[in-house]
Amino acid sequence: MNGRVLHFYLAGINNQNFLMRDRETGTWWQQITGKAIYGPLRGAALDLVLSDELTFGEWRTEFPSGQVLAPVAKYTKEYEPNWEPDVAKLPVVISFPGTELKSRDVVIGLTVGGAARAYPWETFVKQSPVVDRVNGTPLLLVLGPDGKSFRVFVSRIDGHDAEFFLQGDETANTSTEKKPWALLDSTTASQWNFQGCATSGPAQGKCLDRIPALKDYWFDWRNYHPDTTIYKR
Amino acid sequence: MNTSSLSEHEFRGQLADQTNRRSSRWIWILFLLCALATTGLFFIPAFIIRPFRYQAPRALFVAMDLRQRAPLGTLIAGAACFALAFALWKTVGLWRKGLLVLILLVVTFSAVMARQNYFEWMFHPIAGAQFFAQSESKLDPKEMIMAVRFASDARAYPISQMAYHHVLNDVVGGVPITVTY
Repeated sequence: MNGRVLHFYLAGINNQNFLMRDRETGTWWQQITGKAIYGPLRGAALDLVLSDELTFGEWRTEFPSGQVLAPVAKYTKEYEPNWEPDVAKLPVVISFPGTELKSRDVVIGLTVGGAARAYPWETFVKQSPVVDRVNGTPLLLVLGPDGKSFRVFVSRIDGHDAEFFLQGDETANTSTEKKPWALLDSTTASQWNFQGCATSGPAQGKCLDRIPALKDYWFDWRNYHPDTTIYKR
Repeated sequence: MNTSSLSEHEFRGQLADQTNRRSSRWIWILFLLCALATTGLFFIPAFIIRPFRYQAPRALFVAMDLRQRAPLGTLIAGAACFALAFALWKTVGLWRKGLLVLILLVVTFSAVMARQNYFEWMFHPIAGAQFFAQSESKLDPKEMIMAVRFASDARAYPISQMAYHHVLNDVVGGVPITVTY
């Protein structure tokens, strides 16, 4: 923050999205928005870093020299590898009854130039790759080869809008041979990997721009993005 | 009672008793106010920021405001409680002495708790995070991780671990980040 390094710690909970404070100034920050909501730095906001939610298997193949956070031996029994079904059962304290989704529905939330949109996870998984446009920007949402990881790209190649589809889709009915996972673009017919980079064809070596996206529960996303739209198709 | 029947000495003694009683009542009131302030500085924000409860924006603001002021506030109000209790001590009987001690215990508890981060008792932070090369990790390939990359430095944070610790301060490729889940 303004050239100063802040160190954060867990400090409380605000409608099931946690609050953290920094040791340097004691300011209170909201987890999901990175905004300072109380204290000396109130009004400031942390920069959101591009990050991924991937399976370990997918990440391992992409970053062979990557490092993994080690479990803390003292707390290993507290770790819950199968946390999702348990958390899904927890009660919620805020809900949005007028909306089409249920509080604990999982969505991919993203914002483009201030416009927010939520993609219901189940719809996304069925339709991937999803092509959409938010605030004039063409988007490509892709489920990874592992069926769990996801990424969001700007679907433009050299400034031109492009369409993408899964290589497997085209041949699914005609060929029994399973092709390796790849995306094809309709403009240059190049092959693209899950990192958004063209691996063969005329566009080889090019990479798509990324859009930060958050996998979240609907109630939490909607609470902090009251004007969000919901993707439907 | 007819005061005219009392001797002057008795009359003065009674008057002094009355003033004593009146001033000791004021000390009691002040003591209880101090005790309320100290305990309120801890319990009000703790009550508002309960997990699995709705936090209204205004209540949350009050909670953060009190929590921010609590370390100094409980010190001042708590010290005043002890001073006033000391002043009351000799004027009261056994039963009230017990009450004083009980209230002072709650006051002390509040002042200590105002300095404690009990959220970190539930979810311990990672002190001095360690990292493995991914080849040494025993993680299941299907486990979900959060990943960042800066320049050539890529790091993975298993969600099962982050869902417990919640916050980790880290530096990746020279960039200070905080990882949250």
